[in-house]
Amino acid sequence: MLRSRFVGATGASLEERRSGYAKMSLVVRADHLGGGDEVHGGVITALMDSTLAIALRELRGDGAGLHTSIEMNASFLDSAREGDLVTVTGEITHLTASVAFGEASAYTSSGEIIARGRVTFALQQAKD
Amino acid sequence: MQPQGEHSQSAFVSLIGGRQEEFSEGMVRLSLVLTEEHTNPNGVMHGGVITTLMDEAVGGVIASVRGIDVMRAAPHSTVEMNVSFISSARPGDTIVVEATALKVGRSAAFGEAVASRGSDGAIVAKGRFTFVITGGRS
Repeated sequence: MLRSRFVGATGASLEERRSGYAKMSLVVRADHLGGGDEVHGGVITALMDSTLAIALRELRGDGAGLHTSIEMNASFLDSAREGDLVTVTGEITHLTASVAFGEASAYTSSGEIIARGRVTFALQQAKD
Repeated sequence: MQPQGEHSQSAFVSLIGGRQEEFSEGMVRLSLVLTEEHTNPNGVMHGGVITTLMDEAVGGVIASVRGIDVMRAAPHSTVEMNVSFISSARPGDTIVVEATALKVGRSAAFGEAVASRGSDGAIVAKGRFTFVITGGRS
């Protein structure tokens, strides 16, 4: 069950979550498309943001404070079309007391990479 | 100046409730009223809402400069984006995204977008996008 209503509403599902790592998948629907017949870049970046936020939550633990995306970049290497299964994996690469960095990749079911992204999170400490 | 041809909004932006407010040569403005459906687990706007609207707006403004018919003959696609999330927004807020083109070349185009809160004009996010023009040639 996804805690993010926005990503949940896209029909994405959470496939795996463990400390510092998460994986989501989504079958591209007609209403996920951007211009032409390719998936909208916003679908991919939304999944990257959420995948990494979940990976970070798993790493920090449920008792930790909130974390918020403050910077994101993504490179779109190829596209996906209606009916394609897209998998997004995210891994936290560095964690400090105040900031965390993660990298995400999106693949089609044939294993072809279609996007790479990096997200920076600002961390709050848990309140007593 | 109105670009020639008709520019249609993408299916995904329609799905999430985005609205095109202005489409003129060199300026595209979109808006969206945030609901609970746009939130992340923190109860504030999901970053994917902003990246979606910005990608759409910058793609649109590049289309407005290139011309709709030219774009259809040789479409442009996002290859790179960078977004800074500066402040948050909550359900009930209206988000306004304005996009401008920095440069539209033969094989690549560059644009910027600013997202702000409609109520007080506070900047929520800024982004920069690079598009490749497929089939572009001199």
